[in-house]
Amino acid sequence: MTTATNFLAFLGLVTTLLIVWRQSWPGRRRLFVAQSLLLAALAAVIAIYARRPGLFLVAAAVVLLKALVIPRALDRMAAGAPIRPVTPGRSAGMALLVAGAMIVVAYAIMLPVNAVTTLPTEGGIPLAFAMALIGLFVTVTGRDALGHVLGFLMLENGIFALALLATYGLPGLVEAGVFLDVLVIVLLMEGVVLQIRREHDSIAVDQLRELRE
Amino acid sequence: MSLLVLVLAPMAGAALLALTRAARIPILHGAVTLVTLASAASVVMDVAGAGSVTVLAGHLRADGLSAWMIGLVALVTGLAGVEAPRQVPAAEARRFYPLFHLFVATMLLALGTDDVGLMWVAVEGTTLASVFLVNLERTRASVEAAYKYLLICSVGVAIAFVGTVLVYFADAQQFGHEAHALRWTTLVRLAPGLPAPVMELAFVFLVVGYGTKAGLAPMHTWLPDAHSEAPAPVSALMSGVLLSVGVYAILRFKTVVDLASGPRFTGRLLIVLGLASMAVAAAFLWAPASYKRMLAYSSIEHIGVVSLGLGFGGAWGVAGAMLHVANHALAKSVLFLLSGRIRAAFGSADVSAVRGLLSAMPSTGRGFLFAMLALMGLPPFGLFLSEVLIFGAGLQSGHGIVVGTCLVLLVIAFAGLLRTAHTMLYGTAPAVADRPGWLRSLPIGFALLLLAITGVAWPPGLAAALHHIARLLGP
Repeated sequence: MTTATNFLAFLGLVTTLLIVWRQSWPGRRRLFVAQSLLLAALAAVIAIYARRPGLFLVAAAVVLLKALVIPRALDRMAAGAPIRPVTPGRSAGMALLVAGAMIVVAYAIMLPVNAVTTLPTEGGIPLAFAMALIGLFVTVTGRDALGHVLGFLMLENGIFALALLATYGLPGLVEAGVFLDVLVIVLLMEGVVLQIRREHDSIAVDQLRELRE
Repeated sequence: MSLLVLVLAPMAGAALLALTRAARIPILHGAVTLVTLASAASVVMDVAGAGSVTVLAGHLRADGLSAWMIGLVALVTGLAGVEAPRQVPAAEARRFYPLFHLFVATMLLALGTDDVGLMWVAVEGTTLASVFLVNLERTRASVEAAYKYLLICSVGVAIAFVGTVLVYFADAQQFGHEAHALRWTTLVRLAPGLPAPVMELAFVFLVVGYGTKAGLAPMHTWLPDAHSEAPAPVSALMSGVLLSVGVYAILRFKTVVDLASGPRFTGRLLIVLGLASMAVAAAFLWAPASYKRMLAYSSIEHIGVVSLGLGFGGAWGVAGAMLHVANHALAKSVLFLLSGRIRAAFGSADVSAVRGLLSAMPSTGRGFLFAMLALMGLPPFGLFLSEVLIFGAGLQSGHGIVVGTCLVLLVIAFAGLLRTAHTMLYGTAPAVADRPGWLRSLPIGFALLLLAITGVAWPPGLAAALHHIARLLGP
């Protein structure tokens, strides 16, 4: 089980880094779907080894929500936006460097957690937290609304992986609430972003300057 | 039982309001508001009698702290609910009222559940229910405010989820997967055996996450936009009580973490964030362009004061903070509701557009004046007393330098507020359409009276209630 969960967490982190590296929207979207499918596999693996049949439901919900419904909402938001929001010629090197540093930071922050556990899944915990941190980084540095939403979803995926690895999933009621919240956030975001595009004819963030001191 | 009604009634009311015919909306809105108020009063009475109430096999639970906050939410809901029909255009009623009550329901669920996981879901729900309320006017500015609000608060609350996961993890590592491991009552029972480093790490995530909802600097950047763009009754709820729901969530976890690692760690963190919030607010209160933004920055200041009270700790610090939450809820919701009337009359939220408020709109102007005086922390209003309690707790716990810094920041904020209030209240008034009436002034007058009561003559039971809450939360 340790090998399987470590490997899946590692692959999850690799998809996160690839999203940071790729600049084109269709590529990033495919990677996000791949990452979500990896998380579903992670949930299924833990469901088998830890004998938690409830996690199969969670895995199914991840596939439905994060591999099907949410990517479609993202497509509706992206319609008409330029494929490469970043200026051509600007490389992703700096961003990748920061992301790499964040993996080290994630290990440092999760030291007290790894110190108190002997879970077979503990090796993946810092990797999952690094996914969340890099998602936060993508959100904060996002240059358009798509970047923000994608970053938020990466953050959410990282936290989901962290919860799976550290606790084998939260109680069902909470888990259901989390899925509902993520879905509603993305749908609300879609509504707001579509209105911003009608008003400004763009979803780039530097267009938002009504509210400044 | 009344606790169940309290959470379900506004939810069911929201669904009915979304489905019913337009002509019935105002009366149904009144009915739902009344049921919410009545069941909140009943919960508060039950808790006052029995100490705590639980329903649904312990999923819902209210103790002294919940009851205090539920009472405040109900009070501000009442004030905002009465004012809403006068300020929300009939064309928007279909969008406004269902979300208004859903918003109230999510806050009440966050306060009325024992399960910190469910509390997380409910706190996220408060953001989701209020995003479209912030964007009710659908202007460029309001959609931008809604976007920032949704994004920053969602990210913040996601970070709080990391903290919740870590608490659950610590719990499960130490005691196995105990039933109801995420219940606050369970956590408090097991807390002394939980690993301190993990709990402290969790608390950092929880403070950053729920602190974003509470409007603590430097996570406050969404707040002035959202609070100033929302329609006045929603601003009143957001500033008056929603921020305090964020503080409430932090406070629940602070109790648990303090039991695991001692109060020094959480106290220091809250003092630093409280000072940062007061400093940011003081800087922006000096010359605000819009009076709604002024009120929003003042909320950051007062949440900072509350955070300091909790950081100083001890019975006086906690009691002062709770009293301050209540006083601020009353003063700020009155001011936001009146700012809605002022904006409707003068046609702008700019400070420069409003002159001679006292002569142009006498009853609104007087209410604004008194509430501003209360907000500045002048006696005889309650905020003076709660600030004295909090700073007393600071001196008692040996934080003299922090208290001194706060007093300087308070004076700066005071001067800024006074200057703006003076500009608005006096001068030659343009001709504006005021719609006076004693009935309109009644709820506002009632809230101001309560503010004076908490400052001058405590009703029987108030001291005991504050004492009870302080005992509940601290050693």
